[in-house]
Amino acid sequence: MTQTTDLRDVLLLRRIADGDEDAFAEVYRQKHPAIYRFALHMAGNTAVAEDVTQEVFMALIRDPKRFDPARGTLGGFLFGVARNHLRKRWEQDRRLVAMDGEADEWHEGGSANGHGHIGVSGNGANGSGNGHGMPAQSPGWDEFARAETVGRVRQAVGTLPENYREVVVLCELEEMSYDEAASALDCPVGTVRSRLHRARAMLVEKLREPRAARRASAVGEGTAR
Amino acid sequence: MDCARFESIVHEIERPGTEGFALRESAFEHAESCDCCARLLMETESLDAGLRAVMAAASAQEAPPRVETELLAEMRRQKAALVQRRVRRQVAALSTAAVALLAAGLSLHYWKGSGGGSNRPAPPAENPVQAHGAAATGTPNVIDVDDSAYASSFRALPYADDPSALEDGAVVRVEMPRAALASFGLPVAAMESDGTVRADLIVSADGTPEAIRLVPRNGASSE
Repeated sequence: MTQTTDLRDVLLLRRIADGDEDAFAEVYRQKHPAIYRFALHMAGNTAVAEDVTQEVFMALIRDPKRFDPARGTLGGFLFGVARNHLRKRWEQDRRLVAMDGEADEWHEGGSANGHGHIGVSGNGANGSGNGHGMPAQSPGWDEFARAETVGRVRQAVGTLPENYREVVVLCELEEMSYDEAASALDCPVGTVRSRLHRARAMLVEKLREPRAARRASAVGEGTAR
Repeated sequence: MDCARFESIVHEIERPGTEGFALRESAFEHAESCDCCARLLMETESLDAGLRAVMAAASAQEAPPRVETELLAEMRRQKAALVQRRVRRQVAALSTAAVALLAAGLSLHYWKGSGGGSNRPAPPAENPVQAHGAAATGTPNVIDVDDSAYASSFRALPYADDPSALEDGAVVRVEMPRAALASFGLPVAAMESDGTVRADLIVSADGTPEAIRLVPRNGASSE
């Protein structure tokens, strides 16, 4: 956890503390997409992701001095604040936790909602197949297959326990190094490494299940004929 | 490399800077000779591809513009509050300074009036102290004591704490501003507030005035 803080971030934060709107806008535009995506992957819900993003930056406006450059990067600090807000929300409203297995617009694949969601279910081919459990090849097949993959992986990530999900989101989906993730999660690098290893093993397992089920289903249909 | 070792590093094979990345060549070699590990390798590669697809699908995701609008509005509110707080703080600091200055001025005034500040350079006395050979207090202008001017009894000053001074103290005649009488507890408002008055002070051995009586200019005491 020896991240060096960008001096520019420190200067921007000083300006924010003095009420400089432009400095805040610069920090927000630079940092908010990653925070928003993190919240979205973690909560699986765009409304929650928006609220959490807003709360994170609201905290920065109200008390910019909370960030201590000696303890890590501004990005890591913001992820930490986002994580705390997510936990608070989950404590307040348990039904938002994806682990509960309830419908979850983002991890289920969702439908097009104006925020770039792909309108394909993550649970397999929906009527565009050839009756043998395999979809017919068509000009849109690559896109369809990609969307299906995205849906399945998202769903698998969404069902990981929270501690594992956050390392996958940070290290795999936000491409953070172990050090950066450890700083954001306020835990040792070794913990990040072991959690990521375990999380990936769980994901492999989860993604293996539907594949095996589809294969079994296809075999079943073949023998029925 | 054995299967257990392969399994421990397979998830880091694509992550530069890790042990798995350093051992990837030997891991690939092992996978070529082991079906189980080859399948695991294929599955992790498939997982990596899936995660990359999720990352790509989400790369354009960001909060809607209204979030930024609301945050900037909050920023403006905070800035206004910050300015207000600063103004209030400055007003409070100035008020405190004004009160402190006023208090210091009043203290100095009463201190001077009560004969303190003996180290203050006294204006050159036209006529030195005469009575009982006592030293002058140094506050008011010291003038000659004229026995015929004694017209009334002395009045003890509010802070007088040496009754023996009334018996043994030195008497000095002074001329001082009328306003200074207030510091001796005399009803200055009833008199003319400008000009000077002549008074006799009984001064204790340490030079502190203990009692006062006014001496009219025509020689009769007003008290």
